[in-house]
Amino acid sequence: MDLNLFLRRYFEAHKCRVSGDDRIIQVELTETLDRVLMNRPFYWQYMKSTGMKGQPLSLSLITDPQLSGEGERIHFGSPRLQQIFSHLQENEQYTRQYEIIQSSISTPVYPWLAANVKIIYRGLHLREEFFSIGLNLVNGQMKTDMMGLLKPVPFSHAISDQCYPISPVIKLESGFQRIEKLLVSYIEKQDHSWAAQSLRAMEEEISLLKHFYDSHELESMEKEIEDISMRFKPSIALSTLNAGLFYMGSDFA
Amino acid sequence: MEIHKDTAFPLQFQEALETEQPLSDWTLFQLAYEAQRESISPFFKGLRALGHLPALTFLPHQIETAERAIETMGGRAILADEVGLGKTIEAGLILKEYMIRGLVKKALILVPASLVSQWVRELNEKFHIPAIAYRKNYDWNQISIMVSSIDTAKRPPHRDRILEIDYDFLLIDEAHKLKNHQTKNYEFVRLLKKTYCLLLTATPIQNQLIEIFNLVSILRPGHLGNYEDFSRRFGNKRSRLREDAVLKQLVQKVMIRNTRNETALNTAARKIETVWIDFSEAEMDAYRQLELAAASLPPFARITYLRELCSSREACYLSLQKQAGKGNAEMDAVLAQIGNLPGHAKAEKLAELIKKIGDEKVIVFTEYRATQIYLQWFLKQQGITSVPFRGGFKAGKKDWMRQLFKDKAQVLIATEAAGEGINLQFCHHLINYDLPWNPMRLEQRIGRVHRYGQENDVKIYHFSTRHTIEEQVMSLLYEKINLFEKVIGQLDDILSELEISSLEKEIESIISESASTGEARIKLENLVSVIEQSAEEDQKEA
Repeated sequence: MDLNLFLRRYFEAHKCRVSGDDRIIQVELTETLDRVLMNRPFYWQYMKSTGMKGQPLSLSLITDPQLSGEGERIHFGSPRLQQIFSHLQENEQYTRQYEIIQSSISTPVYPWLAANVKIIYRGLHLREEFFSIGLNLVNGQMKTDMMGLLKPVPFSHAISDQCYPISPVIKLESGFQRIEKLLVSYIEKQDHSWAAQSLRAMEEEISLLKHFYDSHELESMEKEIEDISMRFKPSIALSTLNAGLFYMGSDFA
Repeated sequence: MEIHKDTAFPLQFQEALETEQPLSDWTLFQLAYEAQRESISPFFKGLRALGHLPALTFLPHQIETAERAIETMGGRAILADEVGLGKTIEAGLILKEYMIRGLVKKALILVPASLVSQWVRELNEKFHIPAIAYRKNYDWNQISIMVSSIDTAKRPPHRDRILEIDYDFLLIDEAHKLKNHQTKNYEFVRLLKKTYCLLLTATPIQNQLIEIFNLVSILRPGHLGNYEDFSRRFGNKRSRLREDAVLKQLVQKVMIRNTRNETALNTAARKIETVWIDFSEAEMDAYRQLELAAASLPPFARITYLRELCSSREACYLSLQKQAGKGNAEMDAVLAQIGNLPGHAKAEKLAELIKKIGDEKVIVFTEYRATQIYLQWFLKQQGITSVPFRGGFKAGKKDWMRQLFKDKAQVLIATEAAGEGINLQFCHHLINYDLPWNPMRLEQRIGRVHRYGQENDVKIYHFSTRHTIEEQVMSLLYEKINLFEKVIGQLDDILSELEISSLEKEIESIISESASTGEARIKLENLVSVIEQSAEEDQKEA
């Protein structure tokens, strides 16, 4: 992932003025982003209460670790990037887009559901898988790596002139169910020795613990055992990051 | 196994489409997807941080330690490597990994006041972790990665602010200082709300088993049962740690200890050389006179004066002066005799050796402040640049002196192991101008240079003056048993098993309470053979 480009796209999409080069980014924040990133609620509250127009701050973000100079260093694992990641995660959950089609004749566009879903395997350790699944809501056709397929397509939030949307045959709710079913059958085919391992580790922890507790302390021991179970007990969960409804021309397949 | 499904999302999605709420921009929607793809942990094992830190080279034991702490200890561990194996590096790697996985956003790092700036520097420079040192009026809530001394943190009003915060990550350096569960520091640390927790210590088991219990109880309360049961069952016998397999297993589940013997650090070898000094006739005469005059003094004082004279005229003169005019004519005469000595054979040998070493950096350790000041002056006369270093320097001054030594001066003259944690890997000549009587302290000195990041063989010179008390100590403690080479890694363990709390005091009392050199020799030999025997037993068991 190109961090510099990622940040540039993020700030530009948020209508900020961005300058700099491929090693450092200077950005003039908008009020919205200042509120999100700069952590100064009192300032904005004060501005609002006095009826003044606040002045958003600027940021210099250094993306090249070799570069010395004034600015905030940003990289994977840095709090600033975490902040941006969570901002995206919380706010960019739903979308609806129409493929931009230039046509002089009346053209149908077909509804696709794209869902980006994470599988979380949790036990002694944690493993995650991330899938982007597409489903044609008219004929039930499915795609993996849907986001990859959508990437080169030009989109607009409004439908192009001369285009008309086809109504979904499959309801959204059952569309999600089909995607879920696909993922569950994928999970079932996986090797699950990790779960057995986690159970073994859990039992070992519990038996060690029992060695150390006297019989009269059953209560605190039970609590410890509960804590251990919470940490070790194997589980699998599906979690949807975001999803969108995409109206595509007939040649998307 | 049951699979938890995400039932809420489809409903929210449908609602978002049906109502007129604004939907995501296409670019931002893609960015959210890319950010998530970047943040997932695709494998059960392995450190993702390594890929994000291309500029750092890690030693195998450091990577293993970080993996173990995260993967099998659930991020709660005591890191107890021997001095100089890179505990800071291990801790930084662990913190970085959690930050990359998005599991740590808020961290508190509590270290001795003298090490705050060093921690901040290392985390920022090596790991690109934006750690910030606490300064007056900083808001504990606002700063994501805060480094502070425990003494600052536990004081009001900070204490209450800090205790309100849910920390994802807590690190305590020099955690052996928390060994006593009745102290304010211990109580404070127990009260901190934390998810992951690292305790760093070089000497986890120097003393008593109950101290291990207290450290473990910070990480995993109840892991070793409760205090009463534990002390009833195991008492304070360290040896129980080896005897009781279950206890051992329990401790190993939370503690990682790498020793120099086991690690790749052995590649940078230590070369130890003894440098003998012969006193001039005048010096030897003064030494003999002092021995005679001080015969009537308490043994401990006598030995101290003799050791001081071996170090410098100044060190001895200053402490004798305090006794002057108290009616001991012999002592007053010796004082005058020492005051008239023209120089010091040891200092001359030092200048000679440094000139022989040439352009390379040299650290000189002495036991005495007066000697330190004298040597600085003396070396200057000889055209050799030097900077002083003392444990008592403020953090900023320590940093400054370290930097001066690195960039401008050839020699660093230090009085005590220069505190914990100062790193001088850029230097590989170390002169023990006076030898400490405790081999552990010698190890700490050597640990300043023979540590992670040292690329050269380390040359160590022990200075010892012939026909003096130094020769006795040298031949008994350092030459004969080679303590620092053979058992140093286990020495703290062994001493606590033998319930010897301070080897230095033990040796001092043997020498001062013995009527003759011969008697002292026999007693010391006994002490040494007990230690050796324990070391052998340890090795057999291992």
